Amino acid sequence: MSTTQLLFSEKVRRFVKRNGSVVIFLILAIIASIFVKNFFALNNFLTIIKQAAIPIIACLGITLVLMTGGIDLSLGYTLGLCSITVGLLVKGVGLPIWLSIFITLLVGLLVGFINGILVQVVKVPAFIVTLGTGYIIFGIAQIVSSGSDINRLPANFRAIGVTNIFGLNTTVLISLIICVVMYYLLHHSTFGRSLSAFGFNAKAARMSGIKTERLNISVYMICSFLVAIAAILLTIRVNCAQPTMGGGVYTFEVITGAIIGGASLFGGIGTVIGSVFGVLTIKVLENCINLLNVSYYTYQAFQGIVILLAIIFENVKNRRL
Amino acid sequence: MKKTILEMNAITKFIFDEHGQPLRGTTVKILEDVHFDVKEAEVHVLVGENGAGKSTLMKIIGGIIPADEGEMLLDGEVITFAGPRESLAHGIGFIHQELNLCLNLDVAQNIFLGRERQKKLFIDKASMYTEAREMLLRLGFDIDPKTMVRDLSTAQQQIVEIVKVLSYDCRIIIMDEPTASLTKSEIDKLFAIIHDLRRNGISIIYISHRFEELKEIGDRITVLRDGRYIGTVDIEDFDYDKIISMMVGRKLGAMFQSSHQVQDEVVLEVKGLRISRNTEPINLYVRSGEVVGLSGLVGAGRTELGKSIFGSRTYYGGEILYMGEEIGGLHPSNLIEKGVIYLSEDRKLEGLVLDMSLKDNITMASLKRMYPKTKIDFKREEVVAQESIDKLNIVANSVEQICNTLSGGNQQKVVVAKWLLTNPKLLILDEPTRGIDVNAKSEIYKIIDQLASQGVAILMISSELPEIIGMSDRIYVMKRGAIAAELTDKREFIQEKILSHTL
Repeated sequence: MSTTQLLFSEKVRRFVKRNGSVVIFLILAIIASIFVKNFFALNNFLTIIKQAAIPIIACLGITLVLMTGGIDLSLGYTLGLCSITVGLLVKGVGLPIWLSIFITLLVGLLVGFINGILVQVVKVPAFIVTLGTGYIIFGIAQIVSSGSDINRLPANFRAIGVTNIFGLNTTVLISLIICVVMYYLLHHSTFGRSLSAFGFNAKAARMSGIKTERLNISVYMICSFLVAIAAILLTIRVNCAQPTMGGGVYTFEVITGAIIGGASLFGGIGTVIGSVFGVLTIKVLENCINLLNVSYYTYQAFQGIVILLAIIFENVKNRRL
Repeated sequence: MKKTILEMNAITKFIFDEHGQPLRGTTVKILEDVHFDVKEAEVHVLVGENGAGKSTLMKIIGGIIPADEGEMLLDGEVITFAGPRESLAHGIGFIHQELNLCLNLDVAQNIFLGRERQKKLFIDKASMYTEAREMLLRLGFDIDPKTMVRDLSTAQQQIVEIVKVLSYDCRIIIMDEPTASLTKSEIDKLFAIIHDLRRNGISIIYISHRFEELKEIGDRITVLRDGRYIGTVDIEDFDYDKIISMMVGRKLGAMFQSSHQVQDEVVLEVKGLRISRNTEPINLYVRSGEVVGLSGLVGAGRTELGKSIFGSRTYYGGEILYMGEEIGGLHPSNLIEKGVIYLSEDRKLEGLVLDMSLKDNITMASLKRMYPKTKIDFKREEVVAQESIDKLNIVANSVEQICNTLSGGNQQKVVVAKWLLTNPKLLILDEPTRGIDVNAKSEIYKIIDQLASQGVAILMISSELPEIIGMSDRIYVMKRGAIAAELTDKREFIQEKILSHTL
């Protein structure tokens, strides 16, 4: 019995099922186009994409972590540490740009390694480990920067993120490349398959010859590595290295994106397309609130509503489709 | 002529996806056009192999899952249940095979769960305990209603479950293999209860694998096979062979085959391994092309030994030699590469990733070998998985089907398929046929024999003596974490003899 050719409707059904956030995004975008003045404009869309580009990078990182059944609450603080690191190295110490970036990425990897080791080897729940390391990282960032920001970064450093190539901003381009790489990694490589298996059933995965210990640690490293990239790009974007950049709010925004994207907090499930559109959904909402001139507090309430709606949608979708 | 109270016509249940939604338009169905009825005050026995659809049919009656097609009539009126509570409200009680008690509550609290007796605002504990005690005594059981359920034996827990269901004044009670964990005297008591209930006009639907029980308590027997209704027989017409042939549908060939030849090369040698600090050291060996049975009681240390060899457990000293090379403490991943595999006794926890597809599970242990460059070739993967499905006769809709929608036997075959794909040279099989039906068993025996004739060394842990006797070339018997006996002469392969070593 070979698998029969899938019907078109079946294909649609499967797509919606796997990528619920695309549907949520479209619904929200259509509503916004109708009701929000100035929303439906090419320029506005480009703004949204620009705003989403950096969080998407971090969100893909946390998506991997969520797929293991873990969580990284230190994410936002890692962002701050990497921001101040790159700022200090580029401007304060005056190291070559490539070396500064290299060291910053190493800092990201180191943070991830420590988180991963604590989760995997010391076997402390990820929630607690990363809550703890998060505060430590925040403290370190404050100490090395003496609590102050570093403004006006060198132009050749900033060029990495603000140049236009083929009409596309390099930040967006870098984000896009990362999406493609992560898509391959998650959906077309044995790494993604192993990760899913590990997230669903760690015991069975290990006994099927998956090196779960290594896998688990590497996931935290990839996450923090991506966060370091996001930190560099964000530092360039705001032209200011800040130890307080990111923080808890950022962590939750990124996790929210992944959750809207269908990633499961219980592990096993997560997709690149889902997470990308999860972040885009949040950014569309933010954009609408801006256009409507509503206060930031209202925005937060709205964000809460969208999370709840996304989860309800997820449930309904799973039951009906 | 007794009145028919429950009638089910043309019930069909499709296989479903991970969210419980029916996959229509597939050729594989869990139940197809099944008829079933229950008369007043009768014990209606339901038999069939594992995966025949007995439990599914009962879940439909119990309101746990809906039927996709067909109708259910209660007292001649069409009825559907939205959930177990509705079914219970209509007087249908369900005693599950896996008990549904809260271990952290006491007996009375479990019996009255969700409808606690109240005195004004407070729970009336005193009257709950008295009532529970009375109910238990009425059935002839002297269990203190204040005992925590956790502290009861499985049999006693079963009794509590029965009391709980009885206390709902049910007209129909479903019992899914109630005697599986009971002792002889407890079974006698249960049967007395069942006779009592029937005398009081209550109907029982009774699922059992034990034929000797059927004659004792059954009024009618319905046989299901592969999700289909085969027929209903009155107890007066009960004939053992007839029921078997209805269940199996074809004559079983010789269950155990032996076409393999033991060779000289020693593949696995365990020297002085201690599975815990206080146990005697274990010495054993398995040769190429040899099936070695590892017998013993549950808890004798067989699984611990298997897992120690497979790098999934700490052991206390000793050597594990595979083809003369020390493999102790290696990661399963390295062992699989070398050709050593361990099939776990617990397929749901350690054997399969239930939430993933057949294809994903079948290739899981071979990812590194199939895709050394880590890029997955989806087409090739599908072909490989499909080949396994065909080779092992796995009944499934497609290679994309999620494993938790498969029956136990098919799940086990998926695990076997996964391990076969790794080209193993040493197989440690831990209860390879646990919880699967006769047909699947005989197929797995065939595979074991085939592998052995290809020169694979096999260490088979099993609690089923016929299986150990039928398959093994040599038998080790374990007791208290150590090897108690080694039987090399096939004339010694007698149940009583093996048992005497285990005790």
